[in-house]
Amino acid sequence: MLKSRNILITGATDGLGFELAKAYASRGHRVVATGRQLLTNDLDFFGSPNIAYIRADQSEPEAAARAIAQAMEKFEWGSIDLAILNAATGWTGHPADETPEQIDHQIAINLTAPVLIAKAIAPLLFAAQGQLAMIGSTAANGQAQFATYAATKAGLEGFVRSLREEWRNKTHVQIIHPGPTRTKMHAKAGLKTGMVRMFFMSTKRAVRAIQRSIRNRDGKRVLSRAYGWSSIFSSAKEGEL
Amino acid sequence: MKALVTGAANGLGRAMTDQLLDAGHEVWAVDRDTDALDALAIKSRGSCRVILADLANPSSVQRLMRDVKDVKFDLVILNAGISATGRFEEIPGAAYEKLIAINLTAPLVMASGLMRQDNMSSKSQMVFISSLSHAVGYPGASVYAATKDGLAIYAKSVRKPFKKRGVGVTAVFPGPIRTEHAERYSPKGSKANKRMLPEDMAKLVLKAAAKGKKELYAGKGAGAAKFFGKLAPNMMSKMMRKVIFDKLDSNTY
Ligand SMILES: NC(=O)c1ccc[n+]([C@@H]2O[C@H](COP(=O)([O-])OP(=O)(O)OC[C@H]3O[C@@H](n4cnc5c(N)ncnc54)[C@H](OP(=O)(O)O)[C@@H]3O)[C@@H](O)[C@H]2O)c1
Repeated sequence: MLKSRNILITGATDGLGFELAKAYASRGHRVVATGRQLLTNDLDFFGSPNIAYIRADQSEPEAAARAIAQAMEKFEWGSIDLAILNAATGWTGHPADETPEQIDHQIAINLTAPVLIAKAIAPLLFAAQGQLAMIGSTAANGQAQFATYAATKAGLEGFVRSLREEWRNKTHVQIIHPGPTRTKMHAKAGLKTGMVRMFFMSTKRAVRAIQRSIRNRDGKRVLSRAYGWSSIFSSAKEGEL
Repeated sequence: MKALVTGAANGLGRAMTDQLLDAGHEVWAVDRDTDALDALAIKSRGSCRVILADLANPSSVQRLMRDVKDVKFDLVILNAGISATGRFEEIPGAAYEKLIAINLTAPLVMASGLMRQDNMSSKSQMVFISSLSHAVGYPGASVYAATKDGLAIYAKSVRKPFKKRGVGVTAVFPGPIRTEHAERYSPKGSKANKRMLPEDMAKLVLKAAAKGKKELYAGKGAGAAKFFGKLAPNMMSKMMRKVIFDKLDSNTY
């Protein structure tokens, strides 16, 4: 039997976050899943009694961090073993056409909110000597068509690089950069992917790769094609996440 | 030449503004420090237009963008920045929101707005002042490091699309500078003479901008930090922890 752990996953109503929540819950872990939506029935939506959903809209970072902290109290979680800060949004187009609202919105959801959430849950992470995994993107190297999105993901990278050292021996801090993955994210960002989508990593494989990187306690991991393929054969051993 | 400089009242911004004015250029100086702006206006006898703006406030940024609507700039230096140092979890959330607003949101909104408003002349340069932390990480200032990495990658992202419209992009990664900013956020007792003078840094930045350089790593130890940051990033972050984080005895924001 694996030990049951407390896992927080933001942005878990779709894509990678949704599949990660279900994968961890199916192995008996307790998951608190967050998102911007109002869900009427958590059990119907996630199909697992191990997943509790709370609404924490990250376009209001301070309120989202507060909602998460309050949920932790409500669920009487004295510690968090693993937090995956995954929620994000994108906008695609010429950088000169990005409005102040679009810039502000992406920075709030993708950078300010994870920073404030990390701060809000710090005591719970410390209590478990836990693990904080940020979901970045290979766009963090720069992307002309996703300039602000790339900046927010690079921001997470800088944040993690610094905090990992600061929190050494308290909580392991890591960043995982997925490459193009077959979720609905691109459509939501206004990008038509067309045929190239065939070459994207499947969501399933990306989820396995993320879980593997978390188990390995990587500092920084880019989800390359090779890493994705080889992750299919990697699974949790006893006592592992 | 017409130039716009943010954070123009003090430190590196002030040094760049002074040098541009001395060379006979017109400068639009943006800052929230009223007294220092007044001094600039008086000293320059009209060649310096001062704009009072609080870059932490989106409506103030919008007003600033309206104020410069009809100007064609040859040089824009997005320099304004603040920091927050100490233990990450002990600094108030509001300080982080302000830090991100000033260091990241404001320059991105200004950069894209200046392009959209057609504020840049056909052979102009836009300069983003990031930080040497981009190469090495910055334990004790992780959110500051986040904003500066964000700015660096934004500059890299927009370089091609801006170039197509005649605007060059320079990203600057300054090492420690001897300014009030540095004094305020550094561990007590750290040696000021290890930091470059703002005047010297300003010269290097203006030269890099004039040459249309893509990147400038400048200041004491910048070359080595860039080199070892790429080669052994973990070792560099550990070292940064020793020289900075372990010596910080209070939170400053
Ligand atoms: N897909 C890719 O190609 C790719 C590549 C690199 C990195 N990534 C990263 O991987 C992570 C997951 O992305 P994904 O592909 O799984 O995208 P996704 O399917 O769109 O999932 C993103 C999740 O974040 C949620 N979210 C959006 N805005 C939010 C807000 N304001 N507050 C709270 N939650 C919000 C979404 O909610 P809704 O269900 O309501 O939309 C959804 O649950 C993101 O960090 C993304 O940047 C993805």
